[in-house]
Amino acid sequence: MDEIKHEDWLDRQLREAAPYIDDEGFTARVLRQLPPPRHARRSFRGAILLTITLLASVLAYLLSDGGRFLVVAITRLTTLPMLWLFVLALGSGILVMAGGIIAAVSKTRELQS
Amino acid sequence: MELTDGDLIARVLVDDDQHAFGELVRRHQSSVRGLLRQLTRTDVALADDLAQNAFLRAYKNIRSFRGEARFSTWLYRIAYNCFREDARRRKELVGIDEEQLQAERDPQVADPGLRHDLMHALNLLPLHERSAVLLCCQNGLSHEEAARVLDIPLGTVKTNVLRGREKLKRTLAAWKPE
Repeated sequence: MDEIKHEDWLDRQLREAAPYIDDEGFTARVLRQLPPPRHARRSFRGAILLTITLLASVLAYLLSDGGRFLVVAITRLTTLPMLWLFVLALGSGILVMAGGIIAAVSKTRELQS
Repeated sequence: MELTDGDLIARVLVDDDQHAFGELVRRHQSSVRGLLRQLTRTDVALADDLAQNAFLRAYKNIRSFRGEARFSTWLYRIAYNCFREDARRRKELVGIDEEQLQAERDPQVADPGLRHDLMHALNLLPLHERSAVLLCCQNGLSHEEAARVLDIPLGTVKTNVLRGREKLKRTLAAWKPE
């Protein structure tokens, strides 16, 4: 009985020997050192991607004689038989849907882990 | 209504909400800094540097927190790892060992109080016993949680707590209540 009382006493003394430490600017110092928030980094990345895409489009337009290849491709597409057009549309749809599902699954996993 | 640690962590994960992380730091800074102060034998500046480092590491790795343990247990583990890495680095750099550190930091003030004797007795314990006693008896972690923090088997934690307490009891025998 005495032994248990002594252990309780020891634990109490140990807990009391660790008083609450006032923040005194500690949290602010930690927050100052955090890397910039992800959305800031994301928008910066977005701006870079957009600029590169625009530059690449202008370059492709200039190198392809004013985008003539697009006119040729569309003309070819209109001459395709109906069945081929259907298969092409279906294939593109499945491809886009698969991309969406993969993105959703990876995002869910990221949030769960 | 006050948000739970889980709610705040979710905000950090989904929106990268640094205010939510700040609230987590505010909630746990005292216990983490307290533990590190005891581990570093009351070297306040070093303990606060390590605590800061631990919280930054926690922020960067918050995605690896799986919620299997309490957030505080996970933080203690990071803090303990920061302390261990620093101790190893210092030892490698200047060749100091535990006993030397103790001699340097042992307060020589003439304070006859129980608190001083208790801190002195704690500082006399070897690191593995001190860490186990601090986590289990002072910070209220279960043996299982302490084993996770210290990354040692459960049986070793139990032995270290038992031995540490025995030594503390022996050193503080004069203060034992009637």
